[in-house]
Amino acid sequence: MQSREEKVRKGEWEARIADLKYTLHLFRKNPLVMIGTIITLFFVALALLSNIIVDPNLAYASGYEGGMYRFDRKYMWSAGHIINWGPGISIYSGPEFFYLGTDGWGRDLLAMIILSIPVDLYNAVVIVSIAAVFGTLIGAIAGYVGGIFDEAILRITDIFFAFPGLVLALVFAAMFGRTMETLQLAIVLVWWPPYVRLIRGQILSEKEKPYVEALRALGASHIRILFRHVLLNSIFPILVQITMDLGGVILTFSALMFLGFSPSPSMPELGNLAADGYGHIFDAPWVMIFPGLVMLVISLAFNLVGDGLRDVLDPRLRR
Amino acid sequence: MKSPATYTESELGNEELLTVKGFKVWFPIKSGVFQRTIGHVKAVDGVSFAVKKGETLGVVGESGSGKTTLARGILRLVKPTSGEVLFEGINVAKASRKEIKLVRRKMQIIFQDPYASLDPRQTISSTLYEAMKIHGIVQNKPEATKKALELLEKVGLSQEHLYRFPHEFSGGQRQRISVARALAVNPAFLVLDEPTSFLDVSVQASVLNLMKDLQKDLGLTYLFITHNLAVVHHMSDRIAVMYLGKIVELADKDSIYHDPKHPYTFQLMSAIPLPDPEAKKKEVLLEGDVPSPVDIPPGCRFHPRCQYATEKCKKAEPKLAKINGHLAACYYEIDFSTGKVIGEKADE
Amino acid sequence: MAEKRAESQPVLEIRNLKVNFSTYKGIVKALNGVDLKLYSREVLALVGESGCGKSVTAQTLIGLLPENASILEGEMILNGKNLTKKSKEEMRMLRAQAIAIVFQDPMTFLNPVLTIETQLEEVFMLQKNLLREAVAIQKAEGDVKFADLIKAKSAGSSQTDKGASKKETKKVAKKLSIDLLRMVKLPDPKRILKQYPFELSGGMRQRAMIAMAFARRPSLFIADEITTALDVTIQAQILHLLKGLRDRIDASTLMITHDLSVAAEVADRIAVMYGGNIVETALTRALFRKPFHPYTQMLLRAIPNILNPVERLESIPGTVPEMINPPPGCRFHPRCPHAMEICKGERPKLLEVEKKHEVACYLY
Repeated sequence: MQSREEKVRKGEWEARIADLKYTLHLFRKNPLVMIGTIITLFFVALALLSNIIVDPNLAYASGYEGGMYRFDRKYMWSAGHIINWGPGISIYSGPEFFYLGTDGWGRDLLAMIILSIPVDLYNAVVIVSIAAVFGTLIGAIAGYVGGIFDEAILRITDIFFAFPGLVLALVFAAMFGRTMETLQLAIVLVWWPPYVRLIRGQILSEKEKPYVEALRALGASHIRILFRHVLLNSIFPILVQITMDLGGVILTFSALMFLGFSPSPSMPELGNLAADGYGHIFDAPWVMIFPGLVMLVISLAFNLVGDGLRDVLDPRLRR
Repeated sequence: MKSPATYTESELGNEELLTVKGFKVWFPIKSGVFQRTIGHVKAVDGVSFAVKKGETLGVVGESGSGKTTLARGILRLVKPTSGEVLFEGINVAKASRKEIKLVRRKMQIIFQDPYASLDPRQTISSTLYEAMKIHGIVQNKPEATKKALELLEKVGLSQEHLYRFPHEFSGGQRQRISVARALAVNPAFLVLDEPTSFLDVSVQASVLNLMKDLQKDLGLTYLFITHNLAVVHHMSDRIAVMYLGKIVELADKDSIYHDPKHPYTFQLMSAIPLPDPEAKKKEVLLEGDVPSPVDIPPGCRFHPRCQYATEKCKKAEPKLAKINGHLAACYYEIDFSTGKVIGEKADE
Repeated sequence: MAEKRAESQPVLEIRNLKVNFSTYKGIVKALNGVDLKLYSREVLALVGESGCGKSVTAQTLIGLLPENASILEGEMILNGKNLTKKSKEEMRMLRAQAIAIVFQDPMTFLNPVLTIETQLEEVFMLQKNLLREAVAIQKAEGDVKFADLIKAKSAGSSQTDKGASKKETKKVAKKLSIDLLRMVKLPDPKRILKQYPFELSGGMRQRAMIAMAFARRPSLFIADEITTALDVTIQAQILHLLKGLRDRIDASTLMITHDLSVAAEVADRIAVMYGGNIVETALTRALFRKPFHPYTQMLLRAIPNILNPVERLESIPGTVPEMINPPPGCRFHPRCPHAMEICKGERPKLLEVEKKHEVACYLY
């Protein structure tokens, strides 16, 4: 019996591997998607290794003295550019070379950008996970159960849809102070309703399928049917949405930081860095351009991956 | 509610496995802002019959006849409106949750669509294992695998199919898997809802053979629902003909074909295309469309399309009454070969 | 009667048609050299199980193959014109004038937002010549019926009123629409015209589809599983209709079905298809009385027959061949009880074994 079982077990692995191969094949077919995936993976690697690549101490502004930053400006590429910042602040052109120039605190911009990637990605992941899990669960139960519960959930999500994220963040910041957690909460509250709608639509159509009826005829409980069958079969659009949302949330998050919701103005974060450069857009444009560019690339990459996932998963369902 | 005595057949001392009395399944039609019920779709509108242990009762009808709803109603997959469905002492129509779970093990169903009856993300082994787990048929995984392999063998599949996904199988093979899943819980009664409609002729033949073999080996009782009259004749012992939610005729298979007593049955039988171009057929066509159960005609449901209809037929519904062990719901006795009405049933 | 119908020159001839589809898993050799002849005014049933290629044959005939399909070799000749050599534009014109097709699900063909009237009249309005002919006939004889137009076409005559005004043609189009609907036995045609497709039942929709198909006076009428989705009594009505129309419409019908019993009802001749090939063609009676090909024989024994009930149906061992790697030679040989060595070699060609009865098998 043992060897027979083993032989049969191998069959299962082969089936799943063949399944995966087919997915990868479809993935590979689209060059844009491949680019997006590579870029995304690159950034993830960067995020994980950021502390090794760059010395985190660089994030500390030089010359901070209780309330007032003393500027220690270094300039991009060429020397000899002098800006008068006012009394008491010294300016000079130093011997160091920075690939992307410096930010307003004189820190290496490239290093700051690298240090900010894990911050952004981490926050994006946290926010999207909470929104997705919460929204999906609620939407799944609402869609499956139907009736008054479903109606109630729909109305509640309608209310949340109407919230302007910015105002909400403002209110939260005012009420609870400017911390990472309040910012995350504010964004989660605005981002979870689409998941409810998305999963609900899928569940509504999935639960009418014959195999669900077959499971009921077998005597399966509703909980089993919902969580082990219907939900799993409906999950693909959610995965696509999660990928796209990761890009979107990074933008939203950075935007809020840009608008001044950051807990600390010198924290390395893409939006923060861009905010810093906003005031000097004409004489030191690089401070704003490069973080912005990085934001663009990251969210574009996520979008491409999400797009690719959608294309891959759709024809597959037609098998 | 009609008197049950006229309908149950307990001849031959054969024990009845399933007894259905006055069974109705109505679906409310809701409309308006407040979703008020403005009417009902009377899919099944008072059906009574019994299935004896070990027999195959065929149920035929066209769209709108209610046969599919009947299948689901008996198993409580849709909510019954009234009536009784007695199975091993339990009234399925009004059973408690615990009782339903018991019933679910003994009464199983094979669905029409082999492509959608199986969860596409589950391997066959997982599907079978789950069925067994729900009813506690096995205690552990090795036992389940052993039983699964036995089941596969019984339905004509081999062990290498165990860890495959449904989409790797053909329609006929998937139906076999559905059968294996149904058998996994050791049922006594199987409802077959158009099990071969989506299959090719040759595949259908092998699946039907399988069902017959299994019935003999395991002593199963079948309720075979289909619109294919040739198939139902091949598979059944007795056949019930449904029209607009009611049984209009119920008899053994040969009588239904060669000696129908209800005008609708006769029309149905003459409409079957025969695989024999030389067979003599009466060219009598049924006019009009198959009606919908939303708008049921008064009196006898069939009267608008019946060439023998009289005033009496428009007023009140004829009941299923016995003529020589053959049940038919018609006021008249008609000799269809000549088209003459030869008798009239006495009013009750 | 059927013998009289099969005249010498076939209206449609398909010779050695080979069609491939390229898919992810490989090349599907759907049609493997199809040989078929359809004669004037006859009903030929193309019978086969799923995967045998009968629908692909229909799609190739009307030139609506999907992107990944390619015709490898072979020819299709309709009324002397070689269809395989035609461009997309030419095929479109042909579809409008000479070939009509009705599918299983009429809803896919009927525009759900237009009334039947609009759609039927549209078909007529696209045929200015037909309408001009009709106006001419009306002016000459005082009234025009659709049947007159059919007679005119088959007689080859073409009286036409070139100066027919738009108003006249529109009026005559409406009249012909009603006439056509009456021909397909739709009750109360004037009311039906005003209705939308979803308001009609399945059977009525099929009749409307058939009407729209015949509105073009096609030489070739393809019916692709048109009764499969219908109830038995409705199917009987439609088959009865087709039998009645056969004598009034000057067209040849290719009836595609998987149901041999349906073929027995309406067809003059039957062609049995398996694995991308025609394996047997015969007059209907001859096919049932004396099937030659092993597949046909086994197929007939697999059908439950009320007049001849059996205990067990005979099923065909094995499964339908996978068209990516089909068996060499005769595609049926792995499942054939009479398979010989020669069957694995080259594919057997269709040979006439009895009068008007062809089989592709090495047994003969």
